[in-house]
Amino acid sequence: MNLGHRITALGRGTLDLLESLGRAGIFLLQSSISIPSREGWHLWLRQMHFVGVMSLAIILVSGVFIGMVLSLQGYTILVDFGAEEALGQMVALSLLRELSPVVAALLFAGRAGSALTAEIGLMKATEQLTSMEMIGVDPLRRVVAPRLWAGFVSLPLLTVGFSVVGIWGGYLVGVEWLGVFEGAYWSGMQSSVGFLDDVGNGLIKSLVFALVVTWIAVFQGYDLIPTSEGISRATTRTVVYSSLAVLGLDFVLTTLMFGELG
Amino acid sequence: MKRSKMMEFGVGLFMLAGILGLVFLGLRVSGLGNGVGGETFTLYADFANIGGLKPRSKVTLAGVRVGQVANVELDQEWFEARVTLELDADLEGQLPRDTTAAILTSGLLGEQYIGLSVGGDPETLAGGDTIRDTQQALVLEELIQQFVSNMVRE
Amino acid sequence: MTDAMLVELEGVRFSRGEKEIFRGVDLQVPRGKITAIMGPSGTGKTTLLKLMGGQLTPDSGCVRIAGQNVHRLSRRDLFRLRRRMGMLFQSGALFSDLDVFENVAFPLRVHTDLPEAMIRDVVLMKLEAVGLRGARGLMPSELSGGMLRRVALARAVALDPELILYDEPFVGQDPISMGVLVQLIRKVNQALGLTAVVVSHDIKETLSIADYVYVISDGQVMAHGTPASLDVDRDPRVSQFIHGEPDGPVPFHYPAPDYFSDILAEGMRS
Repeated sequence: MNLGHRITALGRGTLDLLESLGRAGIFLLQSSISIPSREGWHLWLRQMHFVGVMSLAIILVSGVFIGMVLSLQGYTILVDFGAEEALGQMVALSLLRELSPVVAALLFAGRAGSALTAEIGLMKATEQLTSMEMIGVDPLRRVVAPRLWAGFVSLPLLTVGFSVVGIWGGYLVGVEWLGVFEGAYWSGMQSSVGFLDDVGNGLIKSLVFALVVTWIAVFQGYDLIPTSEGISRATTRTVVYSSLAVLGLDFVLTTLMFGELG
Repeated sequence: MKRSKMMEFGVGLFMLAGILGLVFLGLRVSGLGNGVGGETFTLYADFANIGGLKPRSKVTLAGVRVGQVANVELDQEWFEARVTLELDADLEGQLPRDTTAAILTSGLLGEQYIGLSVGGDPETLAGGDTIRDTQQALVLEELIQQFVSNMVRE
Repeated sequence: MTDAMLVELEGVRFSRGEKEIFRGVDLQVPRGKITAIMGPSGTGKTTLLKLMGGQLTPDSGCVRIAGQNVHRLSRRDLFRLRRRMGMLFQSGALFSDLDVFENVAFPLRVHTDLPEAMIRDVVLMKLEAVGLRGARGLMPSELSGGMLRRVALARAVALDPELILYDEPFVGQDPISMGVLVQLIRKVNQALGLTAVVVSHDIKETLSIADYVYVISDGQVMAHGTPASLDVDRDPRVSQFIHGEPDGPVPFHYPAPDYFSDILAEGMRS
């Protein structure tokens, strides 16, 4: 009897999961495919400001610090082997391949993702989405689509910014402070970083993360139970689910992209 | 209206900064500007052992960077490594025929690169030629083995 | 099926999860009149409006508006039908990122190609009708609850709909704004000759404006008639509701085991 109950619970859990995945998939299709219009462009711009520009500060500041720490840690290890010349290479590769896409995506989920969920959730709770439907406007197109596209475009740009300031932060600590030869910092970097292999793959990663994080954020907002408790839960879920998804997908993508490079 | 203009301006700046950042990553960080960007010509060199040489490793002449390794493949006939070099087009027809290519290491454990040193032959190398005189990579184990066997002989 | 009825519900059943909310509701809304739907809280009056607006689908039965079965329409036709309807939500549901003017202009912008000057005229006209022309530059967060609803009313009638649905228009209003809203609803109805459905449990206000009243309880229509006839209705359930008596057929107590044995059981446990 007890075992039967558990099996039933397992089955119900699986079905619930599949159902919500299905709903999320249909949701993504319905909202992302729409005819661009002049008005849609304005709505998108607005969200670009909200999602992208407003996240710039936290992303850039974090990037500088990560680059500086990376440089400091790398130097203390490399100097033991007399290989501090390789500092630039180490900083650039760790940032481009791994840290920028992942850390920027995590910060983005915390800063912009949770705000998207809360905003859409609040619009749902105050019946704004329903009233939009009653006016005869599809909220998927009007509310969700611009946010989805803004997130999708913003995160890769933010990731690029993160890498650039991170490399600069590494330069500050490594070259200006610890005294690594400047030419070695840049030339070591240039000889080991491939534009398509490293910069390109890093960008692909961040595109995937952008899609996943924004998708989770807007879907959680759209699908939540419209009470204050529901909103706070959905916001938490956005951050938790997107963080897990980013880290898990990062492993998969890294295996596919850099697995054979050794 | 005013606020929306400011916002559009901000988003425009944001996009521009992202694109500039990408350009920076391309030119300054992955070094697309030097080597691949300018005119190049190709030389080949066969090595018995290339050690840790990889595509994009630098090629220097008298310590100055003049190009990079474009490709490394195994010569199925002689079982040697055939390395393709991309060099600045300015050097085409300037390098003597007896130029040597050696695989060197920067620092004790640093990256490996190819160092060219010129000879005195009046004839010069043209695009597609092969550098005959090469010096393979230094492999630490072989070095130690040599050293030990010398000791034993003495 | 007469042409005089704009909205018709036939045997509508609807349940949410295990709970059955409607067990066969029949009602008709005559064209050009104010029809009130009343009932105790929790009887699903708002759900009924959502069924009319096509946002929820009944388990069985049908909802016809102007002769069209709402739940048989394609998404596109449904949206087209909704342009002929306005709905006033409990909270007003103004778009929080647009100011008062843009909120009222919203339906005009998405559904018409009117030039900007014309949109401005229409919006100011509607705002004047609800007495808030001076507040056009304010954001919804700067308005009081009563003003929010008046702006929402202006937005709901922006496209001159045939049918307007009011969801609890009087809830949580002070006496003055309540009076203003009652007057407005009546005025809008007379001036534009539109059909209105008012869902409410504020008896006095609703009876004062309604032409016809349906009282809903336990998922069914319990009584219907003109306000005057309901006032003298002998049915104890109806009179309890209409006269606001605390106890009667609708019990004061939530279903519970016997009080005495419940207390004893608590004592036994500790």
